[in-house]
Amino acid sequence: MTSLTPLAQSYIDQFQDHLPRLPGAGSRHVETLRQQGLDVFAALDFPSKRIEEWRFTNLTALTKKGFEAANSECAASPQLATEFASEFEMVFIDGIFSKEESRLNALPTGITITSLADTLGNGAVFNFDDRETRALYALNTAYMQDGFSLHVDDNVTIEDTLVLTFRNTGGSAKRLHSRNMIILGENARLTVLERHEGVGSYFSNPVTRISLAKGSTLQHFKLQNESKQAFHLAMVDSEIADGAHYNNFCLSIGGQISRNELKSSILGGDAESHLNGAYLMRGNQHTDTTTLTEHTVPQNTSSQIYKGVLDDHAHGVFQGKIHIFEDAQQVAGDQLSKALLLSDFAAVDCKPELEIYADDVKCSHGATSGELDEDALFYLQSRGIPEDAARKMLIEAFLADVLDVISDENVKDYFTRLATTWLSSGGDEK
Amino acid sequence: MLEIKDLRAEVGGKEILKGINLTINPGEVHAVMGPNGAGKSTLSYVLSGRDGYDVTGGSIYYKGEDLLEMDPDERACSGIFLAFQYPVEIPGVASATFLKTALNAQRKSRGEEELDAMQFLKLVRQKTTELGISDDMLKRAVNVGFSGGEKKRNEVLQMALLEPDLMLLDETDSGLDIDALKVAADGVNRLRSPERSALVITHYQRLLDYIVPDFVHVLADGKIVKSGDKTLALELEEKGYTEISAA
Repeated sequence: MTSLTPLAQSYIDQFQDHLPRLPGAGSRHVETLRQQGLDVFAALDFPSKRIEEWRFTNLTALTKKGFEAANSECAASPQLATEFASEFEMVFIDGIFSKEESRLNALPTGITITSLADTLGNGAVFNFDDRETRALYALNTAYMQDGFSLHVDDNVTIEDTLVLTFRNTGGSAKRLHSRNMIILGENARLTVLERHEGVGSYFSNPVTRISLAKGSTLQHFKLQNESKQAFHLAMVDSEIADGAHYNNFCLSIGGQISRNELKSSILGGDAESHLNGAYLMRGNQHTDTTTLTEHTVPQNTSSQIYKGVLDDHAHGVFQGKIHIFEDAQQVAGDQLSKALLLSDFAAVDCKPELEIYADDVKCSHGATSGELDEDALFYLQSRGIPEDAARKMLIEAFLADVLDVISDENVKDYFTRLATTWLSSGGDEK
Repeated sequence: MLEIKDLRAEVGGKEILKGINLTINPGEVHAVMGPNGAGKSTLSYVLSGRDGYDVTGGSIYYKGEDLLEMDPDERACSGIFLAFQYPVEIPGVASATFLKTALNAQRKSRGEEELDAMQFLKLVRQKTTELGISDDMLKRAVNVGFSGGEKKRNEVLQMALLEPDLMLLDETDSGLDIDALKVAADGVNRLRSPERSALVITHYQRLLDYIVPDFVHVLADGKIVKSGDKTLALELEEKGYTEISAA
């Protein structure tokens, strides 16, 4: 038997010590669940590059060197002098729900928001379907600590965007395993904006499960703005019923190594899943977007559009799989991945995968990577626009059409401002 | 205004301009004519400062300053405008944003106040009306999906807005029907003044019926082989480049 990575070994060794301090301690149900998770994780270890799904993302910096030993010089999230105005916000500080920092008092009727720690602590039986065999998912199950649980009743529309902020203060909490849930009743509508930010070196491993009942719509936005020394390995699984719509958009700016793994299961007709995003990386940052879209029944639609801007030695990965089951006729699946490389040392790996067992489907995929258009740059300069400003204009233009798919105007504006700020902050962080 | 002396330039290691001498005084319109491959476009790119066009000898002085020391945007801000033979499509950049950014960059460099959105719009409307150009294209991305004629009209509109001191027109007539040609020529003629100069690069004499030059030069194999007044253009049209170049 080969030995586990040091970090995996420490997770296993410390489990019994941690167990009494984790929410749901004492509940046989929860403890069994955690033990099952740990067993799966122990058998797998952290994913290595030998695993096909992890071919392009090397976690050695996390698993071997140990993020806790990283130097104390705290790298905060990139300075983003921009804020998002919202009525409701649920805040997690170092992984734990903070009632003081949150603004959840005047919630409209029809939405229930609870913290996972409270729920587990109350001894409520959690009906997780945790037959999951992914190591990082199982690790989350073993150590899940807190997170949001959102439930919207049938036929309720929540107009205001609910903000979910995960802030790491650089304190002693270095391992964050948040477990989140979003459940929308029939014809319910909700918009959420998740924000992940922090200081220093830590490992964030959030898992989010989403269940969308018939006719419901979830707009799910996420800002990954972790510290430049942080590891962010996230998983989002969604189940989408008849006529339900799931729109996900992730803007990734932070993190040393980050991965956003999305699994969308389309379980009904006229259902839609749209997974989109933009990533902006520089220095030695690495980001990975891996999507799996399953069309299990006929007549539904999916799309993925991802655009990345990579400078310096930054590395981007996009792996997108569309799986169309045998009976899933008349489905449409479109996929597009584009990367803009601003330096000779930046790189992107792209792996589109179509697995189609039905014969009456419409699918497309495209992947491009390239540099800034020199002709366009000269054209702008020849009209008097300085080179830096011209470059910025072209990068913004490259990102414009993916940001345009954001249906919520406030979020679109927020993400656009973040992207602009990122562009302007150019050399500061090198 | 512009003084080119023994200018030599190469592209990708190949010498294209082999010693050009040309002086343009304020108010003058010069035409450079020549066969394909003579170096006409290279001359316009060297003047506007495009990367990849390496000057290996000679000098260019513009308003008494060493032009070759200036970046493309600095040249533009000091009044040089190149109307492209093939205007570049820039998806994602709205024409209005582009024009406003360019105009304000130039105003800023001259120490003038930048225009706000309202002032800018008013100015653009005034220019499009004068030129008889539809302002539809302002809403679209720069040159994206424009017809050949629309692209050239867009160049003329930009020129009208930026009011350059030295207009470089690189084969502005190529791909234009006669109506579009007239609009383009009208745009240039409106700007003609005792202070403003133009260098009109063209393969055919046709454009010079509408933009009447003070001087005509024949460029062949990287050199100006003959200069004259506007009648030289007609002579070229009649006899062809080979005979004139050999003469």
